[in-house]
Amino acid sequence: MNVDAVTKRAGPREFSPADDLPREYREAATRMIEFHANSEIMGAYLERPFIRQAPSIDRKLAFSAKVQDEIGHGQLLYRAAESLGVKTREEMLDDLANGDGKFLNCFHYPLKSWVDVPMISFFVDGAAMRRQATLRRTSWEPYAHAMDKVCFEEGFHVKHGEDILKELMTGSRKERQMTQEAFEEWWPRIIQFFGPTDDKSTHHDFAASVGLKQQSNDQLRDAFLDQYIPKARKHGLEIPDEPRIRERDDGTYAVEEGDLDWDEFFTIAKNDYEPGLGQINGRKHAQDAVQWVRDTIENDATTAGGHAPQAAD
Amino acid sequence: MAALENPDDLDAREREALETLLKRLADDEFVLAERYTEWQVRAPSLESDLALANNAQDELGHARLWYDVLEDLGFEEQELIYERDPDDFRHSTLVELPFEEGDWADAVLRSYLYDAAEELRLEALEESTYPKIADRVGKIQSEEDYHLEHAQNWVERLAEGEEGHQRLQNALDRLFPHALTLFEPVDPDLEEAIVELRLRDASLEELGEEWLSIVVPYLESLELELPVSPQVDDDTFEITEEMLPEKRGRDGSHTDAWADLHDELTHTYRDLGRSETTKIMEKPE
Repeated sequence: MNVDAVTKRAGPREFSPADDLPREYREAATRMIEFHANSEIMGAYLERPFIRQAPSIDRKLAFSAKVQDEIGHGQLLYRAAESLGVKTREEMLDDLANGDGKFLNCFHYPLKSWVDVPMISFFVDGAAMRRQATLRRTSWEPYAHAMDKVCFEEGFHVKHGEDILKELMTGSRKERQMTQEAFEEWWPRIIQFFGPTDDKSTHHDFAASVGLKQQSNDQLRDAFLDQYIPKARKHGLEIPDEPRIRERDDGTYAVEEGDLDWDEFFTIAKNDYEPGLGQINGRKHAQDAVQWVRDTIENDATTAGGHAPQAAD
Repeated sequence: MAALENPDDLDAREREALETLLKRLADDEFVLAERYTEWQVRAPSLESDLALANNAQDELGHARLWYDVLEDLGFEEQELIYERDPDDFRHSTLVELPFEEGDWADAVLRSYLYDAAEELRLEALEESTYPKIADRVGKIQSEEDYHLEHAQNWVERLAEGEEGHQRLQNALDRLFPHALTLFEPVDPDLEEAIVELRLRDASLEELGEEWLSIVVPYLESLELELPVSPQVDDDTFEITEEMLPEKRGRDGSHTDAWADLHDELTHTYRDLGRSETTKIMEKPE
C-alpha cells in the first residue's frame, strides 16, 4: 500500500500487522505509540516514591496498584509499537534512557509532595483518559486494542485521584491551601498536556489523515476544559487568572494560548528541561545498575538454547 | 484447646501473646513491602518489575489483614503505623535493610530467605486458636507459594553466572544473620504463652531449625557458603546467640535504615497534620 491507499482506507482499527504499510505510516504510528509508552514509564517513575509517602495503608495499596498498572501499560504499548517493525522495545527503552525518547510534558516536572499527587492522578490522568478514549478508534489495531485495557484501568486511577483531591479539599485549612497552591503550579502544564495549538503542531496532519489520530489538539483541550473546569470548582479549587480562559457563548471554554509558556514547553519537548533531564538520567542510572542482570539472562538464553524472559501477560 | 473467640474475654497474658504474634506478622509484611516497592521502575526488565511489584502488593495486602486483626484488639491504624514510635516496631531486621542500587541479587535472595520462613510460619498458624488468624492464613498461603517459586527461579538463574553468584554470596553474607532474627523469641515467657495457647502450634525454635534444614542444603547446592555454621550434625541445625546480629528488630532494636524509612513513610501524614488514616476499602472479612 502507498500513502494514498492508506489514506483512502483509513478507519478505526483498519490496519494490522497483516497489512503491508508504507514506511511513513509505520514511522508516524511508532512515534506516537512510543511517546505514549515512554510516558507511562516516566509517569510511574515519578509516582513511585508516593507509594511510600501515601498517608494510609489503603491509599498505599491503591497507589501501588496504579504504578504497577502503568508499567503494564508501558509493556503493552511497547508491544503495539514493536509490531510496526520500525523499532524494537530494547531500542525504545534505550532511547528513553539516553534522553532521545520523548514523553509527556507533565512528567518532566518534579512531584514534590502528596498534594501534587492528584494533579497527576486526577487532572493529568483525566486529560489522558480523554485522549485515550478517542484512540480506541485509531487505525492501528494493536494500538486501539491496547487502549481498551488502558482506558479500563485508567478509569480507576482517575477515580482514586479524585478521591485524594476530595479528601485534601475537605481537609484542614492547611491542606486546602497547599492543594490550591499545587493546582496553580500545575494548571498551565495540565493545559499544555494537549500540546500546541493545531496550527503549530508538526505531526498532526499526516497522523489525522491516516486515521492514527482521531481528534485535534484543540478539540481535545477544549473538551477537557469543558469537563474539568467545573470539576475543579466543584472541589473548591479556584481557577488561576492566568492563563486567561474565555467562556464562549455556548458555555464552553477556550484558553488564551499566548498566556502559556511555550518556550518552556518546547525545551521540555527536546528533553532539555531540568528537572525532567534529571528524571531521565535518574531512570538511566537505575537501569544501568541492573545491566548485569540483563547480561546474565541473555547469556543464559544463548547458552541454554533460549529461555529468554517471556512477556508476562 | 478452646478457641479464643472474643477479644474482650482475653486475659492479660492471652492478649499480650496475641498482640506480640500479630505485630511480628504485620510489621514483617509491611516493611518488606516498603522495601520491595523501591524496585518499581528500577527492576532489570518490565516483566521482573511487574512480578516484584505484584509481590509487594501482596505483602502489603497481608500486612493490612494482620493490622486489621490488631484493630479488633482496640488499636487504630495510625497507632499501629503512622504515630507509632519506630522503636516499637517488631519486624525482623532482615526486612528493613536498604537495597544497594542495582543489587537485584539481594532482592531475590532476601525474598527467598523470607518466603521460605513465611511458608513455615503460616503452616504453624493454620490451626490457630484465634479464629481470625486461622481464617486468613489460607488466602495468604495461596499467594506466598508463588513468591517462593519466583524467588527460587531467580536465585537459581543468578547463581549460574559468575557475577550473579558473587553477588548472591555477598548478599548472603550480609543478610543471613538478619534472617536468623525471624526466629528470635526475645521474651521466652511470651513465646511459651503463644505456643501453649496454641495461637501458633510450633515454637520459633522449631521453626528456625526446620527453616535451616531447608535453606542450608538449598544454598549449599548452589555452592553458596554460609557466613556462620548452624549445622550441628547431618540433620541437626541450631541458631545460637553469637550468630545473631547486634540489631534484631524483634526486641525493638533496629538499624539506622529503619528510622529513615519510618520517617519517609510517615512524612505526608505528619506534613499534612493528619490525626487519622483514610480507609477506602471495606474492612476485610
